[in-house]
Amino acid sequence: MNEFQTTIGEYISSSVLKQPKRQIRFDEPLISSGLVDSFSLVDLALFVEDQFGVHLDDTELNAQTFDTLDQLANLIQGRQSK
Amino acid sequence: MTILQIAILTIAAIMIGQLHKGRSLALLAVSTFAVFWLQPAEPYRTLVYWLPLATLAIVVFSWALTSIPETRGWKQNWPALAVMVGAALLMDLNHSFRLTQVFTADTPNLRYTLIVIIAIAAVAFSLARWQRANRFWQFIAFIGIVLIFVFLKSPVLLQKARDAVAALRAGNTGDTSIPFAWLGFSYLAFRLLHTIRDRQTGRLPSVTLAEYVNYVLFFPSFTAGPIDRLERFIKELRLPLPLASEDWLDAGTRLLIGLFKKFVVADLLAVISISDVLVARVNHAGWLWLFLYAYTFRIYFDFSGYTDIAIGIGRLMGIRLPENFLSPYLKPNLTQFWNSWHITLTQWFRAYFFNPLTRVLRSGKISMPVWIIILVTQISTMVLIGLWHGIAAGFVAWGLWHGAGLFIQNRWSDFIRPRLPAWTRTRSGQTILNLAGIFLTFNFVALGWLFFTLSTPAIAWQAMQKLFGMA
Repeated sequence: MNEFQTTIGEYISSSVLKQPKRQIRFDEPLISSGLVDSFSLVDLALFVEDQFGVHLDDTELNAQTFDTLDQLANLIQGRQSK
Repeated sequence: MTILQIAILTIAAIMIGQLHKGRSLALLAVSTFAVFWLQPAEPYRTLVYWLPLATLAIVVFSWALTSIPETRGWKQNWPALAVMVGAALLMDLNHSFRLTQVFTADTPNLRYTLIVIIAIAAVAFSLARWQRANRFWQFIAFIGIVLIFVFLKSPVLLQKARDAVAALRAGNTGDTSIPFAWLGFSYLAFRLLHTIRDRQTGRLPSVTLAEYVNYVLFFPSFTAGPIDRLERFIKELRLPLPLASEDWLDAGTRLLIGLFKKFVVADLLAVISISDVLVARVNHAGWLWLFLYAYTFRIYFDFSGYTDIAIGIGRLMGIRLPENFLSPYLKPNLTQFWNSWHITLTQWFRAYFFNPLTRVLRSGKISMPVWIIILVTQISTMVLIGLWHGIAAGFVAWGLWHGAGLFIQNRWSDFIRPRLPAWTRTRSGQTILNLAGIFLTFNFVALGWLFFTLSTPAIAWQAMQKLFGMA
């Protein structure tokens, strides 16, 4: 059920934060907290596109569109079911 | 805007907020009127009329280029056109009314104005008609807006234009100030570029002329932002009125806070804000730090106060504008500072410059080391944000300062994160790191303002040496 959140959370811990043991909560702010900076955010979008075949537009990479793993998972789910 | 102008626009907003029907057109009428009314005086006096008319023309052209046939019908759009043409003619007729408190009486002859308006309508009509060539014209419009922007932001080019006009008039300018203070163009241009770009990528929602013009010229945010996005704005515009009582309370509170921040706090701090003269005359580092901090808070209170006013007036009409500032000086690192300072401008540059550039470099055929990509993208983005404020060495230096800061922060946190000792993960450890981060970030940003506000990087450098007791 929470497959998206877990996969993306693991990606952020290992590739962005370089702390593979770190657990990211599903409701933890990622962008507004500065945890994922603007550069890593583009990488995150590329990862999501590769992994789930869903396009995240350059204009959507901001805290208003998604800020937590839950919100990002919702976005991906919404696009996959289209 | 002056307090009187804010008061009048607030009254207009309250009246619009009371309407049960026709908010869009009423808003359009006030916004169009405000474009003329707020335009500051020009040495070439009829420009006070022509520049606002040019604003309307550019907006109508951009709509014609970005709209789709379903929203382009005559039936849906004639009221908006009528309101805009009506406002333009009424303002022109001020040479007969002579209401000089409201608008200049030096308006052009009605005959010329009519010819120009008919020409504008003809161009807009053709742009809307020739669908097939639209992609080409969208591209031309994008470049054209950027070129006008560069011209208006470049003191050198403006001076050249002024000299050229003076030569035409055989030296009889009567005034030495630089012309073409085109009100609101910096913000207008970035809204238009967003709509053109999003139309090119097929992401723009379809809107009528009234909706489009309301988005671009929305009078609370016309002169100084925030730079909203069309899809967000029209969602608000399409919500029904009237307002609930808590909307009134929120709007009023926001407006009063904004007025206090801008006209009391910022204006008081202005008296002791750092300046070229103070840097030249004062040698005591302690005083200079005080002047620097005064400026640091002044620019925040001035700009965020202005944003509060815009947001408050918008809410009086049931329209929520996006936030532009979220306690930027209380952020523990520079990335977070830039997530909370002039947010809508930063996001614009991320969406249309930084993200596409990073994407290309990351997924390109040539594999580049990560640090080079970060260096190139951060520095170029921050320099562009600097140049947005004006084409001058100081703004470039300010952009370089922040670009370098973001790069160093990125590399440092990449290096230190896996190496942080266990105590930093405790609550008190987090608090200590946070406070240290806020202190560092705030002072880094404050020092950066030297390049922004002092007239040359050399003076800024001199100030920095004095601040650290090296001069």
